[in-house]
Amino acid sequence: MRNRFGPKVGNFEVPVPPAIDVENVSKSYGKLLAVDRLNLKVDEKQVHGFLGPNGAGKSTTIKMLVGLLKPDSGSLRILGQKTTGDNPAVRRRIGYMPELPKFPKHLSGLELLDIYGQMYGMSKEERKSRASELIKMVGLEGRGKDRIGGYSKGMQQRIGIAQALISDPELVILDEPSIGLDPVGMVEVRDMVKDITKTGKTVFFSSHLLGEVQQICDHVTVLNKGVSLFSGPLSEIGNKAVSRRLVVEVEKTTDAISNYFKTLSYGTVESTGNTFTLHLNTTQDIRAEVSRGLTAAGGVIVGMRGEGGGLEDAFLSLIGKESLAS
Amino acid sequence: MKETRRGGKLQAFLAVLRYEFLWNLRKKKTIGLFLIVFTFVTLRLALFPLLDYFSGVTLRPDPSFVFDNVSVLQPTLLLFLLAIATTMNTISGEFESGTIIPLLTKPVSKGLVFTGKIVAAFLTLLGAYIFLAVYTTIGGLIIYGPQNNLELVPAGVLGLTAATMVWAAIVIALGTLSKNSMVAALGGFGIYLGTTIVGAILTIYLGATSILFYTPGDGPTATTATCGAVIEGNATSFITGTNGLGSVIMNWILNPALSVNFCGIRFRGNRPETFALSAESISTVALRDIGVGVVYIIALFVVSWLALRRTQITE
Ligand SMILES: Nc1ncnc2c1ncn2[C@@H]1O[C@H](COP(=O)(O)OP(=O)(O)O)[C@@H](O)[C@H]1O
Ligand SMILES: [Mg+2]
Repeated sequence: MRNRFGPKVGNFEVPVPPAIDVENVSKSYGKLLAVDRLNLKVDEKQVHGFLGPNGAGKSTTIKMLVGLLKPDSGSLRILGQKTTGDNPAVRRRIGYMPELPKFPKHLSGLELLDIYGQMYGMSKEERKSRASELIKMVGLEGRGKDRIGGYSKGMQQRIGIAQALISDPELVILDEPSIGLDPVGMVEVRDMVKDITKTGKTVFFSSHLLGEVQQICDHVTVLNKGVSLFSGPLSEIGNKAVSRRLVVEVEKTTDAISNYFKTLSYGTVESTGNTFTLHLNTTQDIRAEVSRGLTAAGGVIVGMRGEGGGLEDAFLSLIGKESLAS
Repeated sequence: MKETRRGGKLQAFLAVLRYEFLWNLRKKKTIGLFLIVFTFVTLRLALFPLLDYFSGVTLRPDPSFVFDNVSVLQPTLLLFLLAIATTMNTISGEFESGTIIPLLTKPVSKGLVFTGKIVAAFLTLLGAYIFLAVYTTIGGLIIYGPQNNLELVPAGVLGLTAATMVWAAIVIALGTLSKNSMVAALGGFGIYLGTTIVGAILTIYLGATSILFYTPGDGPTATTATCGAVIEGNATSFITGTNGLGSVIMNWILNPALSVNFCGIRFRGNRPETFALSAESISTVALRDIGVGVVYIIALFVVSWLALRRTQITE
């Protein structure tokens, strides 16, 4: 099948290009700068969330990736190939689900999958078995022969996921797959996306919902107002944010305790009564050390807890609370 | 996905054709317009015999019924209706419904999609005309008796298809530029009406003026009769504009040495008078007609293609 390690040139292994490589891309609609010098790399096999509030520029970026829009500047590559200009060869290797996709109403779900499959050059048998498998996977069993014109919104999203997978692509790009669904539908679609990630494909999907990204992804890029605020492993996003705190409550504040806190180099201290709040500048877990130090200073610890540092906080502090409300 | 890369392009092209055919054949608008055309053809076939039957007149055999009715669709508005039926949604409909997004993100180039859509429109029209021609031929044989020159029917079908493609190209170009099916349909109809009305006015005041060779439509009428003389019994006349491609080609094949007259009209005082404008060989007429039709079709498709190619799909 495909060579995972790239072609051999002489004795050198050419490194595998990233599945998605966006370099310094900008795009405006008239005066509105929708994407601003964006850099983004998604390596093979990553499940990469593209997170940002509505209007952040996610769909614009994805449309440039799949060749629907031309960037004003910068370069976009998918699996090492340029996507700008009309490049069907690279599209052969990806599956894409547009945001709130629309399909020809007069086709049935199965016909749609079959025709799209044929566009990928799949044989009749391949198309047939893959289409019925996918119809089942997205929960449209028994409705495959109905015209898409009669599908509900949720069913259209489902057929949208199915058509993105018809060619068994290396890279799957999903633009807000769960948008506009009821809570049950959202959970089901999320489970479908999780199932896709289990097949070892590279998955890049956008969402304005933190929880969704948190549940599914191993990597995340946070976008706001066209600017990338964070891009990397999900586990590191908290580090970027400066919002982690350690809150310590002692039975009785003494000079020794106050002095102890002043000697700590892990951040700044704020105290109110018997409560000390340490605004951390580190990701280290310093609870044990603090507890030993306080005991040595003769203090009695009533309570100690970490605050902030969760994804939610990180996300909010990255994009600013006001953006989420909009 | 491994062994199927070979012939992938052909597969993709066939997929686009299928996609288009299903779209064309399942739209209510398309089916409705086809039914209107079918009704007209049926009336043409059966109305006069029925009237004759009920008024007790015996039907006279007409050996040129099929030739006359396959060469031109009467009224020529039907050509336009068929063009509208097959092409008003061709590209504009994809933009309006948003289906262009999943389509163009499949491994098919814009060029392949565009070509596939045009080939599908052509084949749809060809299929419709083959059906109508077979229907007319069988009906004609039954109602009007043995027919002359049936071997020219295929040439007539091709001519009608080409004539319709001129209007199809106009509708597709309007649709691609505006991305709006209504603009495509109404704009196309406006152009059809405009050229028809201007053509009719010019014909009334000037006769078979040569300007009309170069506009889409019925064009100037050619006749085998002498201008200004009393019409002789076996003289024929036929339209030579793009709408008349079928009749021009059939007459050319039937009688390659034919010479035809174009008659002008001038006014002596208040009295119109017919006079000979020009005489031409049928081959000159036919080659010019084909040339004009082909130039229109190609030029309009090039315009459409350039518009589609530079379009960004913003939704
Ligand atoms: N076709 C368009 N014309 C003008 N502005 C647009 C268009 N599409 C998107 N925008 C604007 O560009 C910005 C980014 O939009 P989009 O990429 O759709 O964001 P997201 O997908 O993250 O919600 C928004 O401010 C939006 O209003
Ligand atoms: Mg979006």
